Amino acid sequence: MIRYVAQRVLLTIPVFLSVLTIVFIVVRVLPGDPATAALGDYASKEAVDALRERLRLNDPLPVQYLRFLADLLRGDLGTSMINSAPIGDQIAHNLPYTLELTLAALLVGVTLGIPVGVYMATRHNELPDYIGRVGSLVGLSVPAFYLGILLILLVGVQLKWLPAIGGGDLTDAGDSLTHLILPALTLGLVMTASVARLARSAMLNVLTQDYVRTARAKGIRERSVISRHALRSALIPIVALTGIWGVALIGDSVTTELVFSRPGLGKLMVGAMLQRDYTTLQSTMVIYALFVVGINLVTDLAYGFVDPRVRTKG
Amino acid sequence: MKVRLAPMLALSMATLLVIGACTSAAPTNTGPQTGRTGGILRFGQSAADVGTLDPHFASGTQDRSLIDMVFNALIRFKPGDGTQFEPDLAASLPEPKSEGAKQAWTFTLRKGVMCQPTDGVPAYELTSDDVVYSLQKSADKNRSAYAGEYSGMTFEAIDPSTVKVTLDSPLSKALLYPKLANYSGGYIVCRKAAEKLGADGLKTHPVGTGPFTFKRYSPKEKVELVANEAYFRGKPQLDGVEFLYMPDLTSRELGLLGGQLDVANGTADIAWVEKMERNADAKVDVFGVGEVVSIHFNSRIPPLDKLPVRQAIAYALDRAEFQSLTGARVSEQVFSPVPAQFMPGGLTQQETAAKGLDYKSDRDKAKKLLADAGLANGFTLNMVTSELPSYRVVYESMQAQLAKVGIKIDLKVVDHTSMHSTIRLDTNPIVVYVAFRPNADVYLSQFFHSDAIVVTGKKPNTNFSHYASIDSLIDQARSEPDTAKQTALWKDAQTKILQDMAAYPVMFTNLVYARRKGVDYGHELKSVLALYPGIDETTRLMKK
Repeated sequence: MIRYVAQRVLLTIPVFLSVLTIVFIVVRVLPGDPATAALGDYASKEAVDALRERLRLNDPLPVQYLRFLADLLRGDLGTSMINSAPIGDQIAHNLPYTLELTLAALLVGVTLGIPVGVYMATRHNELPDYIGRVGSLVGLSVPAFYLGILLILLVGVQLKWLPAIGGGDLTDAGDSLTHLILPALTLGLVMTASVARLARSAMLNVLTQDYVRTARAKGIRERSVISRHALRSALIPIVALTGIWGVALIGDSVTTELVFSRPGLGKLMVGAMLQRDYTTLQSTMVIYALFVVGINLVTDLAYGFVDPRVRTKG
Repeated sequence: MKVRLAPMLALSMATLLVIGACTSAAPTNTGPQTGRTGGILRFGQSAADVGTLDPHFASGTQDRSLIDMVFNALIRFKPGDGTQFEPDLAASLPEPKSEGAKQAWTFTLRKGVMCQPTDGVPAYELTSDDVVYSLQKSADKNRSAYAGEYSGMTFEAIDPSTVKVTLDSPLSKALLYPKLANYSGGYIVCRKAAEKLGADGLKTHPVGTGPFTFKRYSPKEKVELVANEAYFRGKPQLDGVEFLYMPDLTSRELGLLGGQLDVANGTADIAWVEKMERNADAKVDVFGVGEVVSIHFNSRIPPLDKLPVRQAIAYALDRAEFQSLTGARVSEQVFSPVPAQFMPGGLTQQETAAKGLDYKSDRDKAKKLLADAGLANGFTLNMVTSELPSYRVVYESMQAQLAKVGIKIDLKVVDHTSMHSTIRLDTNPIVVYVAFRPNADVYLSQFFHSDAIVVTGKKPNTNFSHYASIDSLIDQARSEPDTAKQTALWKDAQTKILQDMAAYPVMFTNLVYARRKGVDYGHELKSVLALYPGIDETTRLMKK
């Protein structure tokens, strides 16, 4: 097992390095000059040239690339190219909002999606199943940002039950929760559709298994057959996919954060892109990449832990 | 088994919503109607983040508006009306005195103006030392983006409450006052705070003498300001301002309608204005100063080097068609590069019509001029436009209008900063430019003085037309102390520009801001140079 873990961790290094290289290149092929963007439309050519020099944008790309790697190795995420704010502080401020949103959405998706899927499976080819299938298809088809706007209009603007925008104060649990509900529902309801379909399909497979038939033949109550026998087996693929959904949700949170004007890594990244703030954009993308690579590593290790065949092959 | 989950799901959803509704919902900020109202005004601005809050570098609307709440200047534009001046940190508006070939302006400072406290620097009374330090910073190209505005000026502290500004070349009040007013380099930074924070620190931590004091900056989210209790005009009505960075218009709109915002930057589109006005809780303000849209013709690129061709293009264009892009209420046609609506020196429609220089749309005349120039079959021009709607729609409208007289424009859409780089490399035969400048001298110097010709000028700036026929008029007007004579010279310069059709003035688009009906800015809105409604010590949040 130790050899397997070491292999997986070592394999992560070239993957992460490749991602960093791609991030570095992608940021630099973006159109627009960051010095012009930083100084605005009114800046003279002299001022723009001076800023380019100060930011060392005139250095050859390999030099900039090595400096980027060296800074990262030192744990230095740098400062904003636009307003000199430390990027580490910016990420520290925004990251909790994204994590909070992602976890809440995951919670909504799982706690709503699994019961719905199970219910659909137990009412296979009956009206609730048809409604659930159509509903989940609609859920998968509706973009999160559109659902978000609908929720804001209904709950935030018409009913005024919840704040339409913002992230609230993280140190105030009530304020934070009220600002979290609508964005979490937005992301979570879309995820609910995926989870429900997967749960339904997994349950349908399990419900035809011999041991389920045996349990029923023994006279065990249907509720116990479903919850204690069938659902436990059906949960395995759902749990295995939770990590992947988590990664997907981090990505989907970008549009949700923008629609709700909610602080977070997504808003930070898009803002940096709008401002042509290379350094902030680059560092934010690195953090995203770190998350994705990290979650994949944990998933790999978890597979190896659960299934001995994986670590033997590895 | 029939597992009844539907009611459970409905219950859990309802529970989530009820928890939210009970916990806070839309917060109420307003205080009593009489006396000081208090409350935090939440302002949604169309930007992703702070650019820089060093007033001597700031150029974006999001920065200018915030800076306006924190800093003062020796002189200020009257709140809500950018055409009038009044004393700010100075006790009165000075008159000039001649000192040989030079000109001196002496400012007496108000007593009791306090620099706001910041980390490690307690509040202290502003003196001439701070003012001189700040103006010298504005004049230093390494510490200011507006240094050129202050060349030939020296600043001297006569005593703790007296500042003398000496000019190598005399200027009229119309030109000197804006340099020392609450706009760009005129803002006064407090010396001790500026030295303590350093150049980078000032970018996200403004410290001035204004009605609001910086409290906190949350990157890509907001800047929080609190009322400056020691403000020399009295404690502000508001407890503070939350300045939120919200690049998405829909979010700002929903935030305002949902009650999370009190003021939101809108868009210069009559459809949006009318939509917001249908809401009982919202009020929309449309006011100046407007950004002027002008079309500049590069006289170095054939066939635009021929005057009849440039005139043909001017006759082929129709201001009314451009104006229909935004709606008449949010824009107004202009007939000279300097907008006559906002500043002296501009030509009105009547004045240009009397001279036959209003270039009223006449496409038959345009075709005849092209035919006379040997271009009866038209021609093709290649150019780039910014992706920003304020530019792109103007270029596209121009493309459609010129197609009617046989001129084909191949348009390439690029990002905004790339467009700015490209047009400064002298590659666009026609440049659409959208800009506000504080006075006629700046407009004319930056767009029509030969020094400002792109690439080849002594100080390349935004003279895209390579125009060099009014240098003497611009220079003469700049040093003319008599306001009436100065205005006449500016008008002469613009008459010449129109005669030579170096640029076709189109329209200006106004600023559009929406607010909740309980917001009282404390002044009428006519024109604000900081490009926002103006939040000051008199601004109130009232109960509806």
